[in-house]
Formats: sequence, C-alpha cells, structure tokens
Amino acid sequence: MPVQGIRSVTAARNGVGAFILQCKRLEFHYCDWAGSSRGMLSYLKHQLPAFAKANPQIEIRVSPRPHKHPVVKGHYVNGREKAICVRNLEPEQIVKKVHLLKEASGEKLKRTKKPVTSLNESVRGIWSPYHGGLKSV
Amino acid sequence: MRPSLRLLNLEVPGSRALYVCSICRQEARPRPIVARQFLRHASSNADSLSERVRRKLWGTDNPPGLKDPYGESLLEKRFGKPKPQEPEEPQVEETNELAEPSDGLEPGVSYEPATTWHGLERVGHLGRWKDAPPSEADTYGSFAPKHKLYKKGPLSLAAHQAAVEISLMQALNRPLTHVCKVVEHDKPIFKLIWKTKVLPTSPNWGESLKFHNENAKKVLFYVFEQIGGTQPEAAEQEQAVEDIEVEEFENFEIVEDPSPPAPNPRFFGYTEPRFKSATSLPLTDPAIKFAFLKRFSQLSGHYFPDNIVSQITNVKHAMQYIQGQLHPKPTKLAEQLENDKQLQTLSNVKVFSKRQTTLHRDDEKGRRKLIESELRARGLLE
Repeated sequence: MPVQGIRSVTAARNGVGAFILQCKRLEFHYCDWAGSSRGMLSYLKHQLPAFAKANPQIEIRVSPRPHKHPVVKGHYVNGREKAICVRNLEPEQIVKKVHLLKEASGEKLKRTKKPVTSLNESVRGIWSPYHGGLKSV
Repeated sequence: MRPSLRLLNLEVPGSRALYVCSICRQEARPRPIVARQFLRHASSNADSLSERVRRKLWGTDNPPGLKDPYGESLLEKRFGKPKPQEPEEPQVEETNELAEPSDGLEPGVSYEPATTWHGLERVGHLGRWKDAPPSEADTYGSFAPKHKLYKKGPLSLAAHQAAVEISLMQALNRPLTHVCKVVEHDKPIFKLIWKTKVLPTSPNWGESLKFHNENAKKVLFYVFEQIGGTQPEAAEQEQAVEDIEVEEFENFEIVEDPSPPAPNPRFFGYTEPRFKSATSLPLTDPAIKFAFLKRFSQLSGHYFPDNIVSQITNVKHAMQYIQGQLHPKPTKLAEQLENDKQLQTLSNVKVFSKRQTTLHRDDEKGRRKLIESELRARGLLE
C-alpha cells in the first residue's frame, strides 16, 4: 500500500477564494429638523437606493436621531464599529464617507512603517542554528 | 554708630546707662494736644482745630459742608438725644406742603378712622393692585375667538363677511380697521351681509358690492357709518336716518328684543356663504390688505405672520394659508422613504420612523425577555 500524503484543505485566503465583505451593517442617522442634516437627507432620498442595490450583503438601517448631527455607523465582522459624523456635508462627500466605511476592515488604523507587507512566509525560511554554515569552535 | 545708640545720644544726653528702646520712648512721650484734636470724638467741638481750619480756609464763620465730616452714626440718630432745632423752618414748611396731597384725601375732607368694618368697601391696606377690587380695565378680552375655524364653509363665510365689511367702509370712506370694533353683528345685519354679493370685477373694493335690495343698502350704510366712528352730521340727514331706523325696526323685530344671555352659534348657524365670489378679490392695496387680514383673523382666529402677509395677493390665498395649502407642513423623511418603491423592493434596507435605542436592539435580538425575566427573578421588576 503506497503511503499517501495527508490531504490538506485549501486555506481560505480572503480576496483569493471567497471574498467576504468585512462591513456587515451600515446605520444612517439623521434629523428631520436640523440644518446640518440637509446633505444627509438628500443622500438618503436620492443616492441610498442605488447604494443599497449595489451592496446587497450590507444590512442598511435608517433611523432618525432628533436634534443630533447626522451620523453614519459601520458595523464589522470582527465586532467593532466605526462612526463618522457627516454634519453639514454635501451628498457627494457623504458618498465618499460611506464608501470608506464599506471598504474598511473594521480593524484599528495602524501605521505602516515598511513599504511591503505580506502574509506569506519569507522564501528564505526561518533561521536555524543547526543548518547552513556551521562554524567549528 | 547703630541707630539705637544714636537715638539714645540724641534724646537722653548724658545718661548712657539707662537704655530705653525707641518704641517705648514714643509711648512714654507726652502726646501733643494738636494730634488729639484730629480724632473724631474730639472734633465735635466747635472750636476744635479742624473747625478753625475750615473757617480759615473758607474765609467765613459758617463754612459750607457738614460740621462733622464723618457724619452722624445710625445709633446716634436713633438713640441719641434730640438735638436742639436749628433754624430750618422754611424747609419744614415745604415738606409739609408736599406731604399733604400724598395722604390721598381731598382738601376739605377730614379723615376719621373706622372703628368697625360696617360700611367699608374693604378691610386692609390700600397698598397693592391685587388688593383693590377688579375694574373694567382688568378684565381681559381676547381679540381672536376661542375656537379657530378650520372648515372650508365657515372660513369662506368669514372671508365673505370681512370682504363685505371692508368694502362698505371703503365705500363710506371710513377708517377700514374700525370694523374690528364690532366683533359680532346682530343677526339681521349679518343676514344682510350674507345676502350681499361681492363683484370681484372692480379693483376698487368700495364699488364691488351688489346689495340684496335698496333697503338693505340703506341699512348697511347706516350701520357702518356708525361703526366708522362719526354720527350723521348734517341736519338734513336727520329725517332720513329716522326713516331708516323706523324701517329697520319694522323689518327686524329681533333687534328690539333684549339680548338673550345664551351665546349665539358662530355665524348664527350659517355654514356656507351665499356667494363665493369674494375669494377672488385682490389684496393689492396695502391698507385694504391689512384691514381685511385683521378682520379675517379676528373672525377666523388664525394669526397671519408677516412673511405670509407679504405673499398673500388675494382672499383665496389667505384662506389657503389657513387650510394649510399655501405652506404644507414638511413631511418626515421616514414617510418618504417608506413610500419609495425602489427601497420597498430591497430586502437589506430597514427604515425606522422613530429613534432606535438599546431597548429596541435588545428586543430585536431577543435579549429583552431574558433581561426582564432575570430582573423579575431578582425582584427588581414587578
């Protein structure tokens, strides 16, 4: 019986196999009365239907928040949430903010110090004292 | 040489054995009379140094200003001995003269204090307004009626009445806003107004009336001439006025009846105007516009803000404003989104009409039942 190697299942790499959007829910809060919600009201009336249709995997909730500034809140798969105040913003600016929330991973923002980052291991492997150029004492 | 030694040498020459410090030496030194005279208790004397200096400075024996520059203390005023009266009689007389009329008594009426309260209007002091019995000026009469008009029929009735009244005042050349002095006419007068037709073809409101008959015209002109604030002046008109009065009383016997205490229904039961042509009357003249809107707001109970007044161009606009058609209330966004057909087809969109709180979230996720049951178990919720 020939020896069979252990079968390994393909590791799900996000973006390579099935992509799961990290943003699972977006909440839109507005005020009917306040002037800072003017752009938000316009966005919700005219641009939200197209956005919701284009992103069926995101749950969208629209609810008033009287006498408060308008806010867009993103809820992510990792349990975190991000909120952006969109007071006095134009609908086009709100489109950009919503896109930012949709694309975000939900992680805290980190400073990238190195020019290249990768999940793959280094081709050079891990250094070992027993391999390579052994030095005799 | 140290200062203490220097002082010793100066003050006590020849006695170097006895040393006295400078402070003790100052205390022990006999005080000069001059310094004591500047003290307050010593300055009351008329021949004191300060008084003499004042006299010298002013150059007279009676210098102006207070004799005691620090003034009399409150305790001295209250408990001190009465000072001998100085010759200030003219001032006292003047104050007495001023005080007499402030007693509230007319000259020649003697005041006798009451021993019992029989015959008195009230018992107590006369100090405050609230203690006095209410007068006519204290009763409040509202300009607008208690209940506002909202239905189209009574509103057009009020507009018709206001238009006829303003037209009559315009025709009589009387102040237009005086129509507001009479809040409600008698029933026969109102009936005549109701029967009068307004012709919107004429731009002049005074010429826009078409009366039911000649008699109605005479009666209305007579009534509104009186409302205008002037009585018929010419002696020649007296006879005509009497005739009109006789006719009026003949035609409308209700006027002679004493007015019943029960309040009349609005517009005496009329619900619709006979002619609806008054709605197309223009409100271009500012004076007519102001008078009409004032009377209309008095009859309908609705207030017209300044920006609306500037927008209104005819009677119909004023009615539309009251009915909410001119400036409809802005609808809520939630209502608009709920009616949006595109959003209704999308399954991933939820629109809430009310603010969502943590309670709603707990309820939605099913946690609320657990929380409530746990609270009940702990006796924190009944």
